[in-house]
Amino acid sequence: MTVPDPATRPEHGRLALEDQLALVARGDEDAFDAVYDQVSGPVLGIVTRVIRDPAQSEEVTQEVLLEVWRSAFRFTPERGTAMAWVMTLAHRRAVDRVRSAQRATEREQRSARAEIPFDQVAEAVESNLEQERVRRCLGTLTDLQRESVTLAYYGGYTYNEVAALLGVAAGTVKTRMRDALIRLRDCLGVAM
Amino acid sequence: MRILHGRKEPHTLAGAYAMDALEPQDRARFEHHLTRCDACSQEVSELREATARLALATSVSPPSALKEQVIAAARSTRQHAPVTIAKPRLTNRRVLLIAAPAAAGLIAVATVFGLANSDNSQQLGQAQQRDQAIAAVMTARDATMMSGRVAGGGTARIVMSHQKRALVFMATGLPALPASASYELWLVGPGGDRPAGMLPAPAHGMTGPVIASGLRQGDHLMLTVEPAAGTAHPTTRMMLDIPL
Repeated sequence: MTVPDPATRPEHGRLALEDQLALVARGDEDAFDAVYDQVSGPVLGIVTRVIRDPAQSEEVTQEVLLEVWRSAFRFTPERGTAMAWVMTLAHRRAVDRVRSAQRATEREQRSARAEIPFDQVAEAVESNLEQERVRRCLGTLTDLQRESVTLAYYGGYTYNEVAALLGVAAGTVKTRMRDALIRLRDCLGVAM
Repeated sequence: MRILHGRKEPHTLAGAYAMDALEPQDRARFEHHLTRCDACSQEVSELREATARLALATSVSPPSALKEQVIAAARSTRQHAPVTIAKPRLTNRRVLLIAAPAAAGLIAVATVFGLANSDNSQQLGQAQQRDQAIAAVMTARDATMMSGRVAGGGTARIVMSHQKRALVFMATGLPALPASASYELWLVGPGGDRPAGMLPAPAHGMTGPVIASGLRQGDHLMLTVEPAAGTAHPTTRMMLDIPL
């Protein structure tokens, strides 16, 4: 069992990511090393999924991890898990990079790629339990819900763009996104 | 209709917000709403646990070199919160050894050790001054890292401090130039362009670090290829543009 289950607290004497972050906030370099080991794979994964370009993805991943180092004190356990906090930083930064650096041509190229169904984008992705669970839960969504989530979260599109891509009213996409995440939350057994 | 709907039920934006799928204006408006709506904040937190799982499902194995880069960079990056653990003070010399590879991101520590060791000769005084100026920028409270691709090849990285009105520039993978030519840095602002220094020949694939000072509001950092002696104004195409 090499893949840590994010839903459970680590055992075997290892500190939870939350506790490690608290140490990082006090400048503890060993704790940052441990945090790196836990979050770098998912950070690089989601950043690469959104940005696509490997070199840029590595750059942004470095920025995200440094942001974790610099801003660890901002993490508040009452508002969610440490992993969700880091993933939020990573996703937002990836999306910001894609949107700010975007030229029309790049946008079109990405648009073509973003329409690849979730199942087929699994190249270079470590097969893990989490992936199977997420895939199964995505499978419980309606087509519109799933496409909205996939395009927005993995494709980095705004809901207006998603609406345009899918040919659906923006208001509809907006509510489908929320419904979809609520369903995913329940299906994945997210515990706060 | 959408706006009306949004005003009446802003919480319907929670899903799009949790996926960073709002335009900047909507994002700002929703974040304002979050400050007054505890239920919405709670919902966003829960939805973000779900999106985090979407992210975890994409996990890959990072290249092993990435860890060294990140850890080294962290060592030289000031944290936003005051550090409460008392640590022995580092001399400027030592700060540079740690700070320089960190800021470069892609540069192995060994490279900078090599660079620093080469200073252990006659030019120590001058080198020390330069090192101290570089260390001062890198360890400035407001130091920020930025990077940009160089047209023609290579990646430029800078650590900038508005407080010190200076930046430290490094690059990797710049195409080699004939002896008659050099890369020249420029600060280009509303008032025109100013030469900001010639780049030395690369060592171990790395160019710099060099310091450029005298930053002004609205400056961009640019790069051109010029005659080795340098010029007062750029004469070739800009290969880099980083807004500062």
